[in-house]
Amino acid sequence: MNPEVLENLRLELRRGCLIVAVLAELRTEQYGYTLRKSLTEHGIAIDEGTLYPLLRRLETQGLLASEWREQDKRNKRFYRLSSDGEVILAQLMIDWESMNSALDGILKDTGPKPPNPVEA
Amino acid sequence: MELVDRYLQAVKLALPKRNQGDIIQELKDSILSQVEEREAALGRPLTEDELVEILRKMGSPARLASRYREQQGLIGPAAMPIYWKVLQAALGIAFLVQVIAAIVTAAAGRPLLMSLAPIFNYPSVAFTVFAWVTLSFAALHFFDGRIQVKDQWDPRHLPPVVKTKRGKSRIESLAALVISAIATVWWLAGLRNPWLIMGPGAAFLTFAPGWLKLYPLWIVMGVAEVARRAFEFARPTATRQRLLFSLVPRCLNLIALFFLVRAGELFVINPNNPALQQAIVAINYGTRLGLTIAAMSTLAKLLYDMWKLMAQRFEQAHQAAVGS
Repeated sequence: MNPEVLENLRLELRRGCLIVAVLAELRTEQYGYTLRKSLTEHGIAIDEGTLYPLLRRLETQGLLASEWREQDKRNKRFYRLSSDGEVILAQLMIDWESMNSALDGILKDTGPKPPNPVEA
Repeated sequence: MELVDRYLQAVKLALPKRNQGDIIQELKDSILSQVEEREAALGRPLTEDELVEILRKMGSPARLASRYREQQGLIGPAAMPIYWKVLQAALGIAFLVQVIAAIVTAAAGRPLLMSLAPIFNYPSVAFTVFAWVTLSFAALHFFDGRIQVKDQWDPRHLPPVVKTKRGKSRIESLAALVISAIATVWWLAGLRNPWLIMGPGAAFLTFAPGWLKLYPLWIVMGVAEVARRAFEFARPTATRQRLLFSLVPRCLNLIALFFLVRAGELFVINPNNPALQQAIVAINYGTRLGLTIAAMSTLAKLLYDMWKLMAQRFEQAHQAAVGS
């Protein structure tokens, strides 16, 4: 088995999941550091070098809104889902449910379960 | 927290200009939040090694900054920092080659416009360099799948925070580089074609042979000055090296001034037009006086800069001794 191929596939799988996870977490307003902690607590480890540029991209796409506010004597950038983001997240969750149940069916029908669940 | 500031400074330099301050402020808050949480858990301030560990987890400055860049598809994010460095170096080297070609052409006594041609041709040369570098990296990315770049770095090796006033912008440095290149070519061509420097006055006056005897020195001075400007453009934050680099053209300038002040005549009358026969003594006297004052101020500035460099070295040695 080529580990590089596996790594690329895992990255591809993870990329889409991360976006859904970030959008879902930001239904409640948070700043970068607490968002990262919250994702980690849910089992999705993400480093700052990935999270912050992703937040910027999602904001540029209009899915997130942000504002600077002072908290604990420091300025922090708070992110939340925008109205466009809410619509898109709702659609993505429907797609996710549909994909998940379809995949479940395929995996049950066609063979053994994978040895390890994909690490997030 | 000086290490954090050094890290953020390095990230900032590699970030796209747009939103630079905003991104840095957000990253700083994230790093400080991590530090505070770790310190609260440990019940003591973090050691340098622990701080280094947090920064290493953020990724090298170049790698972190590259993730904020758009359109990385052709090259790939991992190779992007190297691509930018190679591209900048290649464009800089190409410019220096064009400048040297212009200086050599001027030194060979060619007309000014012909001498400047290599500099005017630089945009097309730069485009070719850009195309080759980009194509090479794209090909490597395409055929090799990815370029393996080890993210080996140490925050302790990052340059110190620049606390001085904001230096020249990149545009200003580039303008200074182009102007110095054009001025060098103009001066070298003008010594052989005095009308380029004196204008209509060349009908009455011309340079004495003493100026042309120094011609090889003028060439070296021109190359040194252009190289200094190129260094300023390529390394805007390397203030200490910049000061060191500026000593070379200043020393050469002093040598040239020394020989000129000692030369008998600085200007001679055009034999076909002896209208300034009465004034030539005063012109030579006034010019020599001006050159003497210039030599003294150059010497004073040279000594001051050397003292400043030595003082910096001494201070660094002192800090190292205190830290050890």
